[in-house]
Amino acid sequence: MRLQVAACALVLGMLGAAASATGTHGDSAQWRGPQGEAQAPRSPSGTPPSVGMPARWNDIVLSGTELVAVSADRKAPLALRIVAARAHGDAFRYDFEYWGLEPGAHDLRSLLQRRDGSSIADLPELRVEIRSVLTTEGAPLPNAPRPAELPSLGGYTTLLVAGAVVWVAGLIALLVVRRRRRAAELATQPRVRSLAERLQPLVERAMRGELAREERAQLELSLVALWRRRLGLEETRPAEVLVQLRAHPEAGPLLQKLEEWLHRPDARGAAEIPALLAPYRALREDELDGPKGAR
Amino acid sequence: MTTTSAPVASSDLARTEEYIRRVRERVGTVVVGQDVVVERLLIALFSGGHLLLQGVPGLAKTLLVSTLSKSIDLGFARVQFTIDLLPSDILGSEVLDQRTNEFRVRKGPTFTNLLLADEINRAAPKVQGALLEAMQERKVTIGTETFRLPAPFLVIATQNPVEQAGTFELPEAQLDRFMLVHRLDYPSADEEREVLRRNAALGIQRQDKGAIVQTEFDVLDSRPVGSVSEIVAAMEAVNSIHVSDTFIDHVVEVVHRTRAHPDVELGCSPRAGISLIKASRARALMHGRSYVIPEDLYALAEDALLHRMRLKYGSIAEGKTGRQVLDEVLRSMGGEARA
Repeated sequence: MRLQVAACALVLGMLGAAASATGTHGDSAQWRGPQGEAQAPRSPSGTPPSVGMPARWNDIVLSGTELVAVSADRKAPLALRIVAARAHGDAFRYDFEYWGLEPGAHDLRSLLQRRDGSSIADLPELRVEIRSVLTTEGAPLPNAPRPAELPSLGGYTTLLVAGAVVWVAGLIALLVVRRRRRAAELATQPRVRSLAERLQPLVERAMRGELAREERAQLELSLVALWRRRLGLEETRPAEVLVQLRAHPEAGPLLQKLEEWLHRPDARGAAEIPALLAPYRALREDELDGPKGAR
Repeated sequence: MTTTSAPVASSDLARTEEYIRRVRERVGTVVVGQDVVVERLLIALFSGGHLLLQGVPGLAKTLLVSTLSKSIDLGFARVQFTIDLLPSDILGSEVLDQRTNEFRVRKGPTFTNLLLADEINRAAPKVQGALLEAMQERKVTIGTETFRLPAPFLVIATQNPVEQAGTFELPEAQLDRFMLVHRLDYPSADEEREVLRRNAALGIQRQDKGAIVQTEFDVLDSRPVGSVSEIVAAMEAVNSIHVSDTFIDHVVEVVHRTRAHPDVELGCSPRAGISLIKASRARALMHGRSYVIPEDLYALAEDALLHRMRLKYGSIAEGKTGRQVLDEVLRSMGGEARA
């Protein structure tokens, strides 16, 4: 029971608060100020409506033809709606509803016009007051801009340019160092001997019978390389090269005799080797390709 | 156990040549134009190595191995490798004998002379590892017992190099167990014509009350063209083929050049050189020579060395292939060694 009573009191209280928030003053008749101007009545508590809250001003009798509300633009400090307009003799009795968008005193005439387009200069001042609920003291203000400090190197662009210069200089230095090192390596490396230069001493020693064991392999492969070049088989697959060389009328017998000498268990044909190798004894690099038509 | 290294007699050489000719002829009646593959199979058989055949489906890899096994009178088993295969499926396992209430060993298909491991890269690595261990050690442990595999023991594995989804690529260490990896090419136009002609001549085979369309497998002659003793003789003959110091120098040079090539990250191992010499000896025998020559090296280099080389990522990204690099290595033979 006590709970129900409390709930009823709460509902009634909320309804009362809503009624006061709308600022309805429907029972008040036209009210005039000290100079005879029309003024919007204040709320029962005596304070004018605040920004954004609706307020009513009822039963205002204004002479002349019927008035209508002007559509308010976005910058207007006030919005006005004519709730009702009733004939009152030669005049009209109006009920206004308005919303203040800016605090201060405003004249409702700025939002009224005659329906027939005639002048409203004969209307009295319809002054309403809108109060602000925000206090002017202690309002939040934006931070005051502080003066920026320049970087030590003189700014981001300067820093970028300096970085690019250092990077390019480093790259150039790296390239120069690598080039010098490569040149030094090449200078210290033994020169790669040409096929003719490699073949000549091997053939000489083979003809004299002084070829060392490891040189025999070099001699055989060098002669294969020579004939591969002579017959234009550089691009042919190595497995096929030997098959073709063995079938060649000049290279075939040479390689076959070499194989018999170097690979047979009884090393057959050693006596024929000097005569076989004689044509390869003093080959120059330009003679490696052989006489025209060797292919 | 005895080892043979005496020089091969010319009569033995002639007998072995005749045997090889008969095997080739028999295989040639069924398989068209795969002379090189047959040669590689016999090289692997005679030199005690294992062979991996890489080729797209439809190149008669399985038919070739089946034909060879029937021709040479050896035990043959085929295992189709799949993802769910277990090591016990190929090696064997212990099963409970309910009559005696004791475990007894059930030997797997590995206990044969010629094992065809079809599509080896489809099996999980533990199965590949189990098989490769058996290949290397030639013995298998089941439970607590160790069994020696039959002699000769040859694994011929196949692998499809194109279709890689759902496969486990064999790592270099395991590829190294294969003495040779041969990459099959498509047959020539003439050979392909002959394949189609032979296939069109196949008939219908009546079976019970029905009939089936014959395949090449149905017309295989199951009578062998030689005996195991001839294979043993061939193996002995291979073992007595002369390898000169010069040839060994060639092999050392090519192996070292694979290690020094700028595009190669991992060069050939010493096992590559051993395989190359073994295979060259078998090839020399098959070509009627009692000694090896550089032609054997050049002919077998790709099969013996290529799968033992790993290129650098940068070189692969530049589009270089292992075959190109190996060709460069072989072309540079006899030239100045790289620094």
